Amino acid sequence: MRKVESFKVATYPAVIIVFLLFAGMLFVYFTNALPALHRYGLDLYLENVWRAAEEPSEEVYGIAAAIWGSIYTSIIAILIALPLSVAYSVFVVDYAPKRLKNAFIILSDIMAGLPTIIYGIWGAFFLVPFLRDWIMKPLYDHLSFIPLFSYPPVGGYSYLSAGVLLAIMVTPFASAIIREAYNMVPFTYREAIYSLGATRYEATKILLGYIKPAIISGTILAFGRAVGETVAVSLVIGNTFNLTTALFAPGYTVSSLIANQFGNAFIYEYMTSTLFAAGLILFVIGLAVNVVGLKMLKRWERDVNI
Amino acid sequence: MNFAIETVNLNVYYGQNHVIKGVDLKIPNRGVFALMGPSGCGKSTMLRTFNRLIELNEGARVDGEVRLFGENIYSGDVDPIEVRKRVGMVFQYPNPFPHLTIYDNVAIGLKLNGLVKSKEELDERVEWALKKAALWDEVKDRLNDYPGNLSGGQRQRLVIARALAMKPEVLLMDEPTANIDPVGTAKIEELLLELKEDYTIVLVTHSPAQAARVADHVAFLYLGELIEVGPARKVFENPEHELTEKYVTGALG
Repeated sequence: MRKVESFKVATYPAVIIVFLLFAGMLFVYFTNALPALHRYGLDLYLENVWRAAEEPSEEVYGIAAAIWGSIYTSIIAILIALPLSVAYSVFVVDYAPKRLKNAFIILSDIMAGLPTIIYGIWGAFFLVPFLRDWIMKPLYDHLSFIPLFSYPPVGGYSYLSAGVLLAIMVTPFASAIIREAYNMVPFTYREAIYSLGATRYEATKILLGYIKPAIISGTILAFGRAVGETVAVSLVIGNTFNLTTALFAPGYTVSSLIANQFGNAFIYEYMTSTLFAAGLILFVIGLAVNVVGLKMLKRWERDVNI
Repeated sequence: MNFAIETVNLNVYYGQNHVIKGVDLKIPNRGVFALMGPSGCGKSTMLRTFNRLIELNEGARVDGEVRLFGENIYSGDVDPIEVRKRVGMVFQYPNPFPHLTIYDNVAIGLKLNGLVKSKEELDERVEWALKKAALWDEVKDRLNDYPGNLSGGQRQRLVIARALAMKPEVLLMDEPTANIDPVGTAKIEELLLELKEDYTIVLVTHSPAQAARVADHVAFLYLGELIEVGPARKVFENPEHELTEKYVTGALG
């Protein structure tokens, strides 16, 4: 027994270090954000202004546009990535020929591991013009009376481009989780649903219900990655302080704002502090999404206990 | 005579393995027909040819005929889904869908196949099936709960209700009491004796004692071959084959 105990104790430092790192980071962000928070109050998060000035008294910052952009692009990404990753998982598990199964799995794992700058450059050089010419322009030409499509897609750098690129980037993550879970559905449930005269589509629908927790987890993970993604997004979103639901408008995200402005922020009195405050909001969004996800999983566990 | 299920030179292969070897079997309409034999003799495999569920196993190949009330279900124009609507199945592991409520577990086959026309009819049929499966009194107040809190025996009766709800012509049962405690087992065996008045039940069991308790006819399968078949009483009291005798007296597997 003593051996087991000492092993347990040996794991403590790792736990403590992780905890201290997290708390320490939060502390650093908070203290650095304080000057801006103190000066602008909640307006820092609720207003859409970006007035950098060498005279500190004329500096005004409000990052609402970036917060909106982070959430909006991530939601677009999830709306696209979720059906894609579910379909990919079902295809790999149920339909892919045995010999190709592993190839498909490796392919998506490689895509998950690619450096994000690779996606960013591909996005800027190919995806943005492609979406502009084939998706945005036709939609704008014919359906611009719908507010979503009302912004003229001049450059193509937009919420939509960022959302689509993010969707492509997070699909491998979501599908890894969903695929594993779908693959692990006990065979007896497959037999059960088919024995009831289900078609393949119906059986898949029921079995996907069985792995709902994995789908929720995959979605949360994907959302977390989408919100936090920096380089690739800043290359395709247009980096403009817009606050609109128009899909084709350029925008900003919190992380792309930080990445773009941090280099010259030291020139201004309050900008660095503002960017720390922006980082803080990413902590909050991450926390909120995880709490909501955990709540959903808890409810499932309470009801279903598989 | 009218047979519920009839196999003609039935062979099943898993890749190179020949697991059912030229079986000719006639299962009469109504009553309990027990397929018995030691583990690995192919009885579960054979049962899965009766509703074409065997096709879920990649690499399984079926040769020969299985006739359901005279019609070969392996002829090219037969849709396995239509077969499965007529042949219900209960499994070795009680497998109600854990993420569906008790009600939905019974209703699912009806919903999928559009077998009822209205919500009222669905309610009635669910109640009817649960009563048939002798589970109604235990679950009528918690139809919207999930089956997670039911005992193994209750879950198995829920699965029986799920199958019965579709009013199948034949009910296949693959060792339905293998994972159930003795009290639950007794209840399910009792239920079998009631159901056999209206249904043809094909029961796979590795226990000769269980076959003796509930079956009207038995078949003894050994290493993929049909050794002996006949009325239960005759096979148990006066087996023709030496292997059968060894098996029913417990000297074999």
